[in-house]
Amino acid sequence: MNFLLHIIATIAMGAPNILGFNMLFGRGKILHFGPLGVSIVAAYATFLVVMATGSYPLGIVCGLAATCSISAFFAWLSLRLDADGLGVMSIAMHLGLLAVVLNWSSLTRGALGIPRVPRLPFLDSTGDFALLGTCVAALWAWMLWQVDRGTFGRKLIALSEHEWHAKSLGIDRSRVHMLAFMIAGIGSLLGVLQYHQYLYLVHPSDFGFPAFIFFVTVVVAGGPGSVRGCVVSLILLSLLREGLRFVPMSPDVLGPLRLILFGAILFVAVWLRRDTLFPKQRTV
Amino acid sequence: MLPVAQSRGSALRGVLLLSPVQLLANALIAGSLAALIAGGLALVYGVLGVFNMALGQLTLIGGYTAWWLHQVAHMSVLFSVIGGLLCGALMTWITFEVFVRPFYKHHRFLPLVTTIAWSMILDGFILLAFEERPRSILSEAKSMISLGSVLISREQCLMIVLTIVALLLFAWIFHCTSFGRKLRAVVQHESAARSLGINSAILHRVIFIVSGMFAAAGGIFIGIDQNLSPTLAFSLTIKAYAAIIAGGKGNIWGAIVCAYVIALLEQLLVGIHWFGAFYVPAGYQQTVALLFIIVILLLKPSGLFRSFARTA
Repeated sequence: MNFLLHIIATIAMGAPNILGFNMLFGRGKILHFGPLGVSIVAAYATFLVVMATGSYPLGIVCGLAATCSISAFFAWLSLRLDADGLGVMSIAMHLGLLAVVLNWSSLTRGALGIPRVPRLPFLDSTGDFALLGTCVAALWAWMLWQVDRGTFGRKLIALSEHEWHAKSLGIDRSRVHMLAFMIAGIGSLLGVLQYHQYLYLVHPSDFGFPAFIFFVTVVVAGGPGSVRGCVVSLILLSLLREGLRFVPMSPDVLGPLRLILFGAILFVAVWLRRDTLFPKQRTV
Repeated sequence: MLPVAQSRGSALRGVLLLSPVQLLANALIAGSLAALIAGGLALVYGVLGVFNMALGQLTLIGGYTAWWLHQVAHMSVLFSVIGGLLCGALMTWITFEVFVRPFYKHHRFLPLVTTIAWSMILDGFILLAFEERPRSILSEAKSMISLGSVLISREQCLMIVLTIVALLLFAWIFHCTSFGRKLRAVVQHESAARSLGINSAILHRVIFIVSGMFAAAGGIFIGIDQNLSPTLAFSLTIKAYAAIIAGGKGNIWGAIVCAYVIALLEQLLVGIHWFGAFYVPAGYQQTVALLFIIVILLLKPSGLFRSFARTA
């Protein structure tokens, strides 16, 4: 029962970040490959302040400010660079932020991470995290679904389909990108706020490249831009990921096999969705 | 590991960890590696307009194959290097046929995602086959040459010379041969080149494989000069693309110049005793490429050496 609650909690806590990424990459076709970079900033800013002051409200405010800043920076990059250039640069930013976290040992404790992260008073057991995570994820999914179906979602789709036409209709690209990145950033913050309390630890290995591959696989397999599809693929792929723990193999073999498996799933997903992942521009 | 150069008596005493000439030599060594990888990639981007994110892994495959042939199969260094290059070419050809060609006609961004998937698969195989232990192609100690205040190994000298020869040969083929003219025609306007009878499909394959061989040569370079490790892959990819973006996408010579500039900045970052107060840890080196691009983007969004395509 406890393992089932653990699975529910991890899926639910990962959902806000992945759904935010789905809005950017799946719906907006913005090649933002740095969602984990935003998570690094959100997690470290929040929990460093919490550890220093003991105050969660202050930590959350600082985390929010840092998240908005880094999201605005990514949005600026998306406006400044070609789409594929942004893809590479956002990966570079992610790796750069990870390098800073690993090397600034006096502040972040480097590869040791931040241990003994305190929990909020109402979060004690795995069940509490599963319940809160599910509520937050459901609320977030509903909100993004509303955003997706509303004016903002249509603007995002219009920009992804044909930027010039969308601009000629009065859609402000800078404003839409900035808002989209902010929403995705807040999703990251919601995720890390719960996840690291659950683990009692903020560790650099939680923000590695395999985690990003998992994000992309979930979005592509679930149907780019589809909130419902994304949730379903998140559940299925998380079950597969957690299920692999029970395969009787040494960690030295299981780790690489997991990389191969998720790489292959991503490739097959892209193959199946090659016509819809980046659709050709509409012509008259 | 190069010893710290003695700079007593110099005006820069206490400011530089290494002498300025040694820093330049180190930048030349690191820049040669990055230029080798970035040059081929810039050509691929210029012709196909696609990014190959599995490049770092292809680099390592070239290096690891040479290591395996020399250290495990006990072949001579020359045959191991040739084997590494051929294996790199073969893997790049597979990458092109399976992960790029079926996708880039649909949309040129698709290979960006498929090659990320391929990079993960290759990472897994590299970890399974060679483990995380550092591997060096030449196990014996390197003989060092002293050129004034610069200490450099024979292998490093040879690799710098070979890189320069390879780039010059590439420049000659690109600018002075019929094949090079065809290549430039495809880069400038593919449809027009095809209407003149140039088989662009074959050129695409050739260019992609050549870029893979350059990358494999880079991997062998790392395996001889330092140690091969699976964790190197993404930083190599990012550094090469940083040079391409900063140099102006599709501009081969811009990418090569920026590869050397980034290498020099990396060496300066960790080699200088900043404000006489602190050294920057070597772990920050890979962030230099990133900062460099950000500054370039602020000043010149299209890159330092923008190439202009011909229009009607």
